[in-house]
Amino acid sequence: MSTVPAPVNNNDVRRPNKITRYKAQSTGGPLDDPTPEYMNLLGMVFSMCGLMMKLKWSAWVAVYCSFISFANSRTSEDTKQMLSSFMLSISAVVMSYLQSPQPMMPPW
Amino acid sequence: MNRLLLLGLLCGLAVVLVKSANPHDAFVEDNDFAEFEEFDEEEGTVITEEAVKQPDASQPQREAEAEPADAGFEDEEEEDGIIESEDDEFEHLQDEEEFENFDKEKGSSPKTKGGEKLPDLQMAKVPLHLRTNWDSFYLEMLMIAGLGVYFLNFLAGKTKNSRLATAWLSAHKDLLEANFAIVGDDGTGKEPNQGVLMKESENIYALWCSGRSCVEGMLVELKLLKRQDLVNVLLRVLKPAADQIVVNVTMEDKKMDKFVFAVALKKAAARLHKDMYDLGQFTEKKNVDKYDLPPSYQILSETGEATLAILDKKVCQVLTKFDGLIEYIHLSDQFSGPKSTEDTQPTKLPTVKPCLIFCFTVPGKGKSRPADMESMRPLLQLVFYITEKVSRFQLSREARLKGEKRRQKVEEQFMKAAHSQRQEAAQLRREEKIRADKERLMAEEDPDKARKLEERENRREMKRKQPKMKMMKIN
Repeated sequence: MSTVPAPVNNNDVRRPNKITRYKAQSTGGPLDDPTPEYMNLLGMVFSMCGLMMKLKWSAWVAVYCSFISFANSRTSEDTKQMLSSFMLSISAVVMSYLQSPQPMMPPW
Repeated sequence: MNRLLLLGLLCGLAVVLVKSANPHDAFVEDNDFAEFEEFDEEEGTVITEEAVKQPDASQPQREAEAEPADAGFEDEEEEDGIIESEDDEFEHLQDEEEFENFDKEKGSSPKTKGGEKLPDLQMAKVPLHLRTNWDSFYLEMLMIAGLGVYFLNFLAGKTKNSRLATAWLSAHKDLLEANFAIVGDDGTGKEPNQGVLMKESENIYALWCSGRSCVEGMLVELKLLKRQDLVNVLLRVLKPAADQIVVNVTMEDKKMDKFVFAVALKKAAARLHKDMYDLGQFTEKKNVDKYDLPPSYQILSETGEATLAILDKKVCQVLTKFDGLIEYIHLSDQFSGPKSTEDTQPTKLPTVKPCLIFCFTVPGKGKSRPADMESMRPLLQLVFYITEKVSRFQLSREARLKGEKRRQKVEEQFMKAAHSQRQEAAQLRREEKIRADKERLMAEEDPDKARKLEERENRREMKRKQPKMKMMKIN
């Protein structure tokens, strides 16, 4: 067996004629980390709850969820989905405050 | 301001009521004063009740203003002359022409002021921004502050990760350029690019290198910590984690002999053996005693020959020196990724590629600095060393035959399982078809029914006949 410690000293191992282009892996993504999708879904669920049941805290949680989803998202993902979830959560907050302008009551 | 106006109005009302109780100015007797006294008390109580109902800072003001009014009335009692003059003074208040809605005031005031029952108060519709304090929105302020903190952490984390990634690239660029014709291709554009560090997310960076002998390409993934996500940062306070660098060298076909091997930290070894398809199928756990390895490592190997060849002195030295930083080294000619999590057996054999996968942990245990990247250069050199070794390594004839037999066996097992599944699926489909035919028949009228029955029977007969004919032909 050869005991060459470093790759090559005299021979150039580079082969410019054997270049393979990069192929983006699409399937590996969802397997690795489903956080952005879950957070997106949660955000939408909380926004709907906040809008329908006029719960201010639910609307605020939706904003947080969409922020977390945005932070964890991959660049290959569609930004429109993220943006729509974000807009929905903001609208949930605004609508809850327009309907009942009182401040949020803490549970304690 | 509005509250003061209200107070003024109330006092005016009170005065008017006094006058209304005494329509004739000249009529001055003790009874009147007694009336006034009663009225004073009522007024006093009513005023205080009103003050209680509207709890704000103006309460002492009202009471203070009620008191001088009371004092005024008491003065009336004591001195006639003053009373008269005061009556004269207040005469203009009884003038109908002076006031608008004077009667109404007279009429409504007894209702509100007289009697034991509590008055029906109508809260004036004061606009929100005048009524509430911003202090009462403290929860909302907290929420917005929280969002602000999250966003600031996002920016800080994103910058830190970006700096770590570029530090890694700059530390290893010369070594990579000495080994590959193309360093940093992103697959876009007609010509291969150079020096592109692809950002897959705010914490995952990838680098594709290609153009080397025996190697199809090398993908380096910098799986950094999610410093941009505050939730993750807080979770890491409880459970520390570290940045990881995964190097995946795809060998050219036929440049790697048939063996599967892995050396990993014990926890990682257990996980890989369970999750990875090829490691689960071909390898067994082997003892590290024979080799000069730290006790924290575990060997998963198919053939002892391969183990001996790979774990030579140099590799063992590096593994000892960087104990803990090398998470695992996975060499396989049958690499197809992790096992499928679905219950159903896949009908097609998974595509296999000869791959060498190295996973390194960045020193610093999460608190990595860009300077730490420099210290990982020897690990990339180890990658190239092992790549060269694998490309030149040849198994002995027996080992190779055994390897081929094993792979054939695995393939057959897979095909059997897939075949039985396909058969089941076909059987189910046939049964469903028969059921559908029957249902259709039931729905049809008589002549059609008869026709269809005939057709089906014919078909069945043909089917039954055909195999027999075939058998006869063979014979």
